[in-house]
Amino acid sequence: MRSLFLAFIFFCVSIAYVSAQETKIDVNFTRTSATEVAKSLSIKTQLKFYYKTEVLDTIYITKKIDDQPFNLALKNIFEGTNIKYTIYKNAVYLTLGEPLGTAIAEEFYEDNKTVEDVASFITIVDDRKNLNATTPNKLYEIGIKSGRARDKITVDGYVREATTGNVIAGAKILSSNGNVSANSNQLGYYSIVLPAGKTNIIITAPGKDLTTRTLLVHSSGRLNFEVKERILTLKEINILANKASVVKSTEMGTNKIDLKALKKIPALFGEPDVLRAVLTLPGVQSVGEASTGFNVRGGSTDQNLILLNDATIYNPSHFFGFFSAFNPDLVKDVQLYKSTIPEKFGGRLSSVLEVNNREGNKDKLSGSAGIGIITSRVSLEGPIVKDKTSFIVGARGTYADWLLKLLPEEYENSAASFYDFNLGISHQFNKNNQLIINGYYSKDEFKLNSDTSYSYSNKNASIKWKHNFSEKLNMDVTLGTDLYNYDISSDVNPVNAYKLKFDIKQKNFKTDFVYGLNNTHTLKFGLSAINYNLSPGEFKPFGSESLVISDVVPDEQALESAIYLGDEIAINDKFSVNMGVRYSVYNYLGPQTVREYAPNLPINDDNVIGEKSFGKNKVVNTYHAPEFRLAARYLLANDFSIKASFNTLRQYIHLLSNTTAIAPTDIYKLSDPTIKPQQGNQLSLGLYKNLASQSVELSVEGYYKQLKDYLDYKSGASLVMNQHIETDVLGTRGKAYGIEFFVKKNAGKLTGWMSYAFSRTMLKMDDPLNDSPINDGEYYPANHDKPHSFNFTGNYAFKRRYSLSLNVTYSTGRPITLPIAKYVYGGSERVYYSDRNAYRIPDYFRTDIAFNIEGNHKINQTFHNSFTFGLYNITGRKNAYSTYFSNDNGVINGFKLSIFASIMPFVSYNIKF
Amino acid sequence: MIIKRHIHRLIFLSCIVTILILAACKDSFEPNVTSFNSNLLVVEGLINAGSDSTKFKLSRTVVVAEKNVGNPETGATVAIESESNELLPLVELSSQKGTYASPGLNLNATKKYRLNIKTLNGSIYVSDYVEVKISPEIEQVGWDVKTDELQLFANTKDASNNTRYYRWEYEETWIFYSKFYSVLFWNGTALQSRTPDNYVYQCWGNEKSNKIILGSSAKLSADVIFKQPITNIPSNSEKLGERYSILVKQYALSKEAYEFWQNLKKNTESLGSIFDVQPSQLTGNIRNLNNANEPVIGYVSAGSVSTKRVYVNKADVPNFRVEPDRVCIEPLLVVEVSGSDYRTTFSGGFNVPIEEFGAGVYASSRACVDCTLRGTNKKPTFWQ
Repeated sequence: MRSLFLAFIFFCVSIAYVSAQETKIDVNFTRTSATEVAKSLSIKTQLKFYYKTEVLDTIYITKKIDDQPFNLALKNIFEGTNIKYTIYKNAVYLTLGEPLGTAIAEEFYEDNKTVEDVASFITIVDDRKNLNATTPNKLYEIGIKSGRARDKITVDGYVREATTGNVIAGAKILSSNGNVSANSNQLGYYSIVLPAGKTNIIITAPGKDLTTRTLLVHSSGRLNFEVKERILTLKEINILANKASVVKSTEMGTNKIDLKALKKIPALFGEPDVLRAVLTLPGVQSVGEASTGFNVRGGSTDQNLILLNDATIYNPSHFFGFFSAFNPDLVKDVQLYKSTIPEKFGGRLSSVLEVNNREGNKDKLSGSAGIGIITSRVSLEGPIVKDKTSFIVGARGTYADWLLKLLPEEYENSAASFYDFNLGISHQFNKNNQLIINGYYSKDEFKLNSDTSYSYSNKNASIKWKHNFSEKLNMDVTLGTDLYNYDISSDVNPVNAYKLKFDIKQKNFKTDFVYGLNNTHTLKFGLSAINYNLSPGEFKPFGSESLVISDVVPDEQALESAIYLGDEIAINDKFSVNMGVRYSVYNYLGPQTVREYAPNLPINDDNVIGEKSFGKNKVVNTYHAPEFRLAARYLLANDFSIKASFNTLRQYIHLLSNTTAIAPTDIYKLSDPTIKPQQGNQLSLGLYKNLASQSVELSVEGYYKQLKDYLDYKSGASLVMNQHIETDVLGTRGKAYGIEFFVKKNAGKLTGWMSYAFSRTMLKMDDPLNDSPINDGEYYPANHDKPHSFNFTGNYAFKRRYSLSLNVTYSTGRPITLPIAKYVYGGSERVYYSDRNAYRIPDYFRTDIAFNIEGNHKINQTFHNSFTFGLYNITGRKNAYSTYFSNDNGVINGFKLSIFASIMPFVSYNIKF
Repeated sequence: MIIKRHIHRLIFLSCIVTILILAACKDSFEPNVTSFNSNLLVVEGLINAGSDSTKFKLSRTVVVAEKNVGNPETGATVAIESESNELLPLVELSSQKGTYASPGLNLNATKKYRLNIKTLNGSIYVSDYVEVKISPEIEQVGWDVKTDELQLFANTKDASNNTRYYRWEYEETWIFYSKFYSVLFWNGTALQSRTPDNYVYQCWGNEKSNKIILGSSAKLSADVIFKQPITNIPSNSEKLGERYSILVKQYALSKEAYEFWQNLKKNTESLGSIFDVQPSQLTGNIRNLNNANEPVIGYVSAGSVSTKRVYVNKADVPNFRVEPDRVCIEPLLVVEVSGSDYRTTFSGGFNVPIEEFGAGVYASSRACVDCTLRGTNKKPTFWQ
C-alpha cells in the first residue's frame, strides 16, 4: 500500500525531490509577501512556482541572500516561516506546514497527521481564486448510516471529464491522509476501499485539474467523479525581470541592470561597461564621449553618490572616461536611484548609483579572463573554507598607447594607462551572521602631449557585518575608508619642476536596520557618520634645482552625520506610502583659520574684516536640516500603478571644475562658513504598466527639480592652489524638468530597453553680491542640457549560443559658447564669446552593433569561452565632441573635434574556468 | 591542448587589432551664429614710461564670418592721464588709421596713469589707473637644438623680486633666397640688367609673434624665469637656411594684467583639448563712462619694454635641412622670334627673366625668382 501511494504521488502530482539547481541567487526582501518572494524567485531562476496565493499572501519575509546556490537560498529564505518547498523538474511547490513529496508520505505514517491538515496542503497546488465551489465543499454521503461502523468499505464508480463526459483512464484516487489509493482502469472505472466516516478524497489525472471531494462513508456505494481539464489552473509565473516589483514598489526612478543585460550591450573596445550602460537609461546624460561621470536629471557630475560595495568612488572613470572604474567580471548588479532616494542614502543631490560586486563562489574555485583590444582583465573566486568563507579577486590593466597614437597629431606624444584591483571576502558564521570585507584600488596615469604627467587613484576598504536579530529585525553595520587622490608633476624645466598633490580621505560608519513591525509597517532606520579629511593642494618643488616655493592649502576636516527613519506603510492592497526623514548634521572642524567677510558685501579680498582660528576638532560652524523622502504608490490594476514622490536632499561637498567634463585636476571643497551646502528637491510623478504577463514594462515619469547653492566659478578664476576659493566661486540656482518614457522587454528572444526623455536643465547666477553674473543673471542652459534624447539597447538571441546586440543613441547636441565677434589683439585674430551656452554643437547620433558567440555548453570542459565582436559607431558619423576656435598663424578658425569619427571595430574574448 | 588553441585564437585576434583604423579627427566648423555686429571697442597698447614711443591701436570687433578683421576706430581723441591730472595727448598716425601715438613720454614711474579715449560718436572710455611696471633686462635669449626643431627660450630675473609676471613678444628676421638668381628685369619695353639695389635673389623675411607668451615666477622662491619657451622653429624651415635673428621683447605685468592675458590666451588659444576649459568672460580694465555694462576689450598697462636680439646661423644647426622647393623646377627658355615674344612673356609681370642663354633668356614665374614677394631685399638696419 505504501509503495502504491508513493507511486501515486510520483505519477500524478509529479513531485519528487531532485538534485540541486545550479542557479545562484541574490535577493533582498524587506517585508515582502511570500507570493512576491515566489514571483521574484521565479523570475530569477526561470522556474515555475506553484502555490496558493491566499495562504502565502499572509506571510511576510525579510531576508537578504547573496550569491547562494538555489537550494541553499530557498532554505534560507523560508527558514523561520511555515512555508515548505519542494523542487521537481522546473517547478517549485510551496506549501504551508509540510513539504510535498516522499518526505510527506513518510511523515504521515509516522506522525499520523489529521485529514484536514493534509487536505489543506494538497489543495495548495490549486491556485484558482474560485475553488470549484460546489463539488469539493459538498459532503457526499455514501451508503446507509448504520449503527455499526465498519473498518473497510468499498466505494466504486467512474471518473469522467466534466465537460465532455469522457471517461478518464489512469486517474488516481487518493484518500487525503494517504493511506489508500486506487487507479481508474481503461474504462474509467475505479474501486477503492475506505474507512468508515469522513474522508477527503483527491482525484488527479494527467492534464486535469486536481479535484477534492469530501465523503462521509457509511457503507459500500458508488460515486462518480468529474474532473476538469487543467486550463489556467496552475498559476504560472514567467516574468523575466525584476519588474513586477516596479509596478508595485513605492520607489520611483530606479533602474536596475544586472550583469546579463550589461554584458549584452555593445561596448566600446569590447569591454562591458557599467557607466555606459547607465547612460542608456532615461534621464542620464553625459557631456560627451570622452567624459568622466554622468548627469542625472540635470544634476552635475558631483551630485551622484557612486557606491561600490558601500564605498564612495570619487572618480568613477579610467582613461579619460572611456572605461568605468568597475570590473565587469565582478559586478553583480547596478542600481540607479534618480527620483526616490531611499532615506538611508544622503550627501548627494541627484542620484545614487549602487554597484555591487558578487561574493565569491563558496563551493569551488572558478575564474574568468577577458581580452579586449586595449584592456585585459582576470578574476578568480573560490572557497577559503567550503560553504563558509569565500574570496573573489579581480584585476584589470591596459595596453592603450597604440590607441593614443591614432588621436589627432596634437596628442601623438601622449601616454595613458590604468589598472585596478578588487578584493572581496565573505564569511558566513551562521545563518544570522555574515561578515564581508571589500577592497578596491585603482590607478590612472597619463600624459597628454605635454611635459606634465597626471595620475589619480581611488583606494577603498570596507568591512560589513550583517546580522539578523530575528526574522523581523535585521541589521547591517559598515565601517569603511575611502581615499581619492591625484598628483600632477612636471620636471622638464628644472627650475619650475613641481609636484602638485590633492587628496580626500573619508572614514565612514553606518548602520542600517530593517524592522518588519507588522503587515502594514516596515520600519527602516539607522545612522551614519562620515569624517572627511581633505587636502586641497600641496604644491612642492620637484628635483634639487627647482625654485618652486612649497605652498600648501590647509587641510579641511568635517563630520557629516545623519540619522534616519523611514516607514513603508501598506495602507491597503492598492495604496502604499513610504515616509522617510533623514536629519543630517554637518560640522566643519578645526584646525582651521577662516576669514570673516563683511556682511552683504561681495566676498573678496577687500571685504575681509577678520580672521578666526579654531583648534583641532573644534567646530568652526554647523549646518543641519531635515531631508524628506516621501513616496506613494496606488495600484490602479494589478499590473498598473501610479506613483508620486517628493525628495529633499543636501550636499556638503562640492566639486569645482572649470572644464566641461570632470578633469582629473578638479578640486573638491567642503562646505564652510561662506560656502553653503547645496540643496535640492525633486517632485516626480509616474505611471507604470506591465504587459504580456509582466514581460514588457512601460513607464512614464515626469519630474521637476530645484537646485540651490550649486557652485560655479567666476570668469578667469584659478581653482588650483587657491587659498581663498570662496572669493572665486558663486552660488548658482538651477532648475531641471523633464519627462521620461521607458519600455523594457525582459523575456523572449528579443530583450532590451528603449527610452526617450525630454529634459531641460537651466542655471542662473542670482547672487545679488555678484557684479558680473554669467548671462546677466538670467537662466542659461547647463553644459549637459540636452533636451531630446533617445536610446535603444536590444539583444536578439536567435540561437542559444548566438546573439546580436544593437545600441542606438540620439541626443540634442550639448550647449556651447560660441564667438560672436572677432578682433585683432596680441598679433593675432581673437574671438569674443557670446553668452554662456547660447549655442549647441550638432546633434549626437550613434549606432553600435555587436555579435556574441558563446562557446559550447558542454558541462565537463575546463574552459568556457565566449567571443564578442562588433562595430562601434557603424554609421561612422563624426559626432562632435567639442567645437572650438583657435588661432592658427594669426587667423581664427573654427574646429570640430570628434573622438570616434569613424567605424570602430572591436573584439573581445572571454574565458571562464 | 585547449590552452594552445586559445593562444592561436589570440594571435588571430591581434591580427584583427592591428588592422583597425581608428580616427579621431578635427574638421573645420563654421557654425551659424548671429550676424549681429556687436561692434565693441578694442584697445591695445602700452603706456610706455621710457623714452620709446607710446602707441595705442583702437579698433572695433567684426562678425566672425567677416573676412576683413581690421576695423580701425578713427578720429578719436586719445590721451594719457596721470593721477595728478596731467594730460599727454596721442595723435592718430596718418599712415596707420586707428593707431594713436606719442613720442617718448619719460613718465614718472612712481605715479599711476590711465588711458582716456573720446570716440568720434562722443563716448568716453577710460582705463583704470595702472602702476608703471619696469621690465628687468632679459638675461639671455638662448636655444636648444632638438632633432626636429630649434627651441628658443628666454631667461630673466629680477633681483628685487618685484616683477613676477611677464609677457613676451618677438620679431623674427631671416635671410632667404629665391630659387633662381635673376640678373635681368623687364623695364616695360626691354630687358635690362639689374643693379645691386634691385636684386631679388636674397631677401630678409620677417614675422611677428601671434601667440600670447606668458610666464610667472609667483610660485617660485626667487623672481627667476628659466628657459621660458619663446618659439620653436621646425628643422626644415627656411628660416634656418642661412642666418636667423630674433628680437625678444619683454614686458613686466601687474597681477591683474597677467590674469587678463592669461584669460585671453585660454579663451582664444588653448580650447579644444580633451579637458575642454569653458570660454569665460573677458574683463579688461577699460570702461565706458556712460555705460558701465558695455564690454570693452583690452587691458591698458604702463611700463617699459626690454629687448634682446640674438642670431642663429646655419652652422649652429648643422643637421637641419631646409625643405626643398617643389614648385620651381626648371626655368623656361624664351627666345625672341617674332619680335614680341619677350613682351608677351614678361609684360604681364607673372614671368620674370633670369639670365641670357644662347639666343634667348631663361625665365620663371615671379614666385620662383622674386624674393620680395615674401620679404624685403633691403637689408634691415640692425642686421649684422
